[in-house]
Amino acid sequence: MVELAKILHVPVWALRGFLAPLVYPGLVALLGTVLFLIWAERKMAARVQQRVGPYYVSPKLRGALQLIADGTRFALQEIIVHVETDRLMFILGPILTFTFLSLPFTVLPGGPGIYGFRSDFSMVIVYALLTLSPITVILMGWASSNKFAMIGGGREALLTVSGEITLALAMLSVAAMYGTLDFVTAVEKQMHTGIIGLVSNPIAALLFFLAMLLLTDRVPFDIVLGEQEIVQGPYTEYSGVLYALTMAIDYVKLYALSIAFTLLFLGGWAPFTTPLLGAISVYVKSLIVLLFSVFLRSVYGRMRLDHAMNFFWAKLFPLGFIALALGVFVHVIYA
Amino acid sequence: MAQDSNGGKRDDHRPRVNPILAHLEAIATGIKWLTRKPMTLMYPDMEEKRPEYFRGFIIFNYDKCIGCSLCAQICPPRAIHMYRVPGDKRIRPGYDAGRCIHCGLCTDICPTDALDVSPVHDEVFEQIESMDFDPVEWHIISKKLVEEHAKRKRKLVITRVDEEVGLRYEPVE
Ligand code: SF4
Ligand code: SF4
Repeated sequence: MVELAKILHVPVWALRGFLAPLVYPGLVALLGTVLFLIWAERKMAARVQQRVGPYYVSPKLRGALQLIADGTRFALQEIIVHVETDRLMFILGPILTFTFLSLPFTVLPGGPGIYGFRSDFSMVIVYALLTLSPITVILMGWASSNKFAMIGGGREALLTVSGEITLALAMLSVAAMYGTLDFVTAVEKQMHTGIIGLVSNPIAALLFFLAMLLLTDRVPFDIVLGEQEIVQGPYTEYSGVLYALTMAIDYVKLYALSIAFTLLFLGGWAPFTTPLLGAISVYVKSLIVLLFSVFLRSVYGRMRLDHAMNFFWAKLFPLGFIALALGVFVHVIYA
Repeated sequence: MAQDSNGGKRDDHRPRVNPILAHLEAIATGIKWLTRKPMTLMYPDMEEKRPEYFRGFIIFNYDKCIGCSLCAQICPPRAIHMYRVPGDKRIRPGYDAGRCIHCGLCTDICPTDALDVSPVHDEVFEQIESMDFDPVEWHIISKKLVEEHAKRKRKLVITRVDEEVGLRYEPVE
């Protein structure tokens, strides 16, 4: 990063502020990943069910261009805003949510030295920015003035609370374990001790992963979307580009959280220390996490709302305290 | 004990499983199936071979018809109606492909073999009205369909039930 800045004759902070949120790990990488991920999700689900999946858009590439075709269609489609909506909020909803969700990439490190800015509280910042989005999603459900959207918004409110508590507990136990709230320091600690977070605190990793699935509406916790019950949850009324944005929301969140998962539990850019190899390492690891979490779609069915709540509050919440205790214990051993 | 939403105790009837092992097993099963080949018949590129006397679209040869109207009498769903064609003394059959049940009775009864079965079964019509042919139209579309079908270059396969993959497709010449 520093050398690149010297070659281009721009200050390092400017390059960082441009590169991290916009190129990698930000928007460009994000867009490519989301396109690949949706294709991979459909393809994997098809394989498990012995189907072919997307194919005819580009038979040579096994249908990989399907998503581009879909995207073109969404871009050219009319955006229907029906009479009873709260117009401003309806249109602003997806845009605001997407904006909130692309902010964490300013502080999420995508490799050694690849970040927008470094803060001692980057974990807190990422957590706070990611938890802004449910508010706008609930507002979207309200603004749609549609039964399904309303119910979806309510479910989002209910589930977000339980998911975020679990996520916070998992992050806290990691913070306790490494004695830091900074991603970079956490990764350096893991490289220093040579033991990745997944091994030293598996409970926290499990909690983080499950909370990630819940917050991003992945199966088995896709209760907010619930296609067979409430059409598309809070996003029911959307069409055109706005629909594409609402669809992207969950994937953006998933991408951000899986990078966080990689940094906290999979050793980040370990074993590399150079920016390029480190970035590739982080990207590949988080891609594996992403693929695994979308793969679960073909294994599980949807959990019922009350079962999911019960699961998170009665089972995972107490487990969170055990993870926290384990984190403190590991911290004492490391020290 | 957990109560079901409709009041029954459901845990009594359920076999106890180890939750962690069961999840791992489910995921392992998913991964195992991930490696299997799909068993889709790639239909427009590949097609099942039809048997010799497959009863598809009924083909009509105007020149062979003697206008006896036996076909219209035998047709169970009344897919064949007799028409007057200008400049022709006799009445001739017209065909409603939408009504036809492909029973083949008309081809059996026709004394001059003016009607025949064909393997064409996947012709697409955009409107219901366009599936109803008068005698001349029927003759023309019959010719066209037979020619098009002869020109088709699809891979023909035979479907076999397979213990391993479910369905298997064997290519034929
Ligand atoms: S095949 Fe059967 S249903 Fe069809 S036109 Fe002939 S007699 Fe009628
Ligand atoms: S049975 Fe044959 S010959 Fe008689 S009207 Fe029908 S098509 Fe013509």
